[in-house]
Amino acid sequence: MARGTAEWERRPALPPTHYVHPAIYTDPEILREEQEKIFSKVWYLACHESELPSANDYRAYQHPAGKSLLIARGEDGRIRTFYNVCPHRGNTLVYGPAGNAKHITCIFHAWAFSTKGDCVEITREKQGYGDRLSKKDYGLHEVRTEVGFGGFVYVNLDDSAGPLAEFVGHALDGMLKCLESEPLEVFHYHKALVNTNFKFWHDTNSEFYHDYMHYHNRQTSMLQPSYWEREYIPFPNGHAQVGDQVVKYEAYEGFKGRDLSFPGLERNGWKMVDLFPGFTYNLRGSALRIDTIVPLGPAKTIIEYRGLGLRNDTPEQRAQRINDYNSIWGPFGRNLHEDLMGVTGQGGRIGRGQSWILHAREEANKIHDEIGMRHYYAEWSRRMGRLASNPYSEP
Amino acid sequence: MSSIGATVSGESSSAIEQQVRNLIYTGCLLLDANDFVGWLGQCAPEFRYTISTYSPEIRKDQTWLDHDFEGMAHLINLLPKHNSDQTPLTRHATVYTIDYEPAANEAKVVTSVAIYATTLDGGETSLYALARYHDVVDLAGTPRLKRRVVRLETRSLGIGKHWPL
Repeated sequence: MARGTAEWERRPALPPTHYVHPAIYTDPEILREEQEKIFSKVWYLACHESELPSANDYRAYQHPAGKSLLIARGEDGRIRTFYNVCPHRGNTLVYGPAGNAKHITCIFHAWAFSTKGDCVEITREKQGYGDRLSKKDYGLHEVRTEVGFGGFVYVNLDDSAGPLAEFVGHALDGMLKCLESEPLEVFHYHKALVNTNFKFWHDTNSEFYHDYMHYHNRQTSMLQPSYWEREYIPFPNGHAQVGDQVVKYEAYEGFKGRDLSFPGLERNGWKMVDLFPGFTYNLRGSALRIDTIVPLGPAKTIIEYRGLGLRNDTPEQRAQRINDYNSIWGPFGRNLHEDLMGVTGQGGRIGRGQSWILHAREEANKIHDEIGMRHYYAEWSRRMGRLASNPYSEP
Repeated sequence: MSSIGATVSGESSSAIEQQVRNLIYTGCLLLDANDFVGWLGQCAPEFRYTISTYSPEIRKDQTWLDHDFEGMAHLINLLPKHNSDQTPLTRHATVYTIDYEPAANEAKVVTSVAIYATTLDGGETSLYALARYHDVVDLAGTPRLKRRVVRLETRSLGIGKHWPL
């Protein structure tokens, strides 16, 4: 039966952990608070070490807390992260997304910095500053950086945060053999700029009930008995693992089984882990996909997609992984387009008449249970100081 | 390789050039009309279709779609099963160069293409992608497309697309 406005707006007769208020996806002030209380405090996956293979390689990085960062591999081989800003007058240091430079030189007044963050040149230093200012006091602002869990570069803006391993905990244990037996290498990168909230993307990665949207997944996964045995395993800090499955790719017209795999992954296997506050390891058969997000506004998000194979792939193996990846996950893939349609559909309607967002399915934590989202919002609520279903209550 | 000034099977170079242009432009019209079956009908059995681009972010060339004739036929055949954005695309194409290769009886063609999207609700038009078609046209008999590489300049494609560009 259709409902009138009062009924439409009435809180669901569900536990307050089983639905969220739509304002968490629309309110600019809530996003600002998320950037301050969440993104500025947690470890976040920035890129992969293979994007900086050589000494003095650098990579610009837009951090979800709204900061512009610069990741560089020093001549000592170590990867470090800095704010992408000159300490002299605040100019942007690197403009392009990636490159190699022994010295990173600000275009404005030619102050120069090593890839270890040391200031190595202040033009006409003595003439202008005498002994009042010294290069050694004007290095770059360094950001905590660790490389791990498959060679990924993680950053944390909070100097007092615990180590990366403490934050991730055991969430990736079930995938570690796949990630760390051999060095990985990025072969795919693209950004999708979409009109949606970043949490809608993570929500979609955190539930499989939406497989009804995907013809490919209905054929290759939902029709397989093992699909219904997939179980969510929640981990501390808001992370959740989706149980493994073997996919029948050949059930989709024109597709073949994936003969290539990853170390520790059975043929056509699928492993997936969603990490708080919004990045995902998704390993299907021959290719690993990593999703990260950059919120530009409550309803505007950049989603970054990376595809990875093994660094020691033969050209034939690499071509196969690229093909497998793009068949479902590239910009022209069968699944990604549908997922992005779904979240932009949500982003376009939320705040324009939607009342509550339900996360209420309970199926013993199996694949259509929405425990993944509930677990995420429990951590969100802990860090934000109030329930996601009641975001305007006093912390 | 020779310029299009050469002749094939006694036909004048301008006639061959016109046939090649017709093939490219008719293909654009078929794609604009979402007549993907008709478009594939212009392709040779050995056809291969690739969408590629270069990523300055990871400093690597990327292949985003790669299918032979059969793969494209499967892709097109399954479109009605999928949820796909139905925003129409319109191509504005200009054939830049046609290079005839007599030994192979084929022409290599470079076409610049701007692809526009027009919303169904309201009809707002925006640029969707800039690209070049790098084609090989089989000139034995009726000209047919035997190779197309869609080389994208635009890499930010929003929610992506299920259709060939």
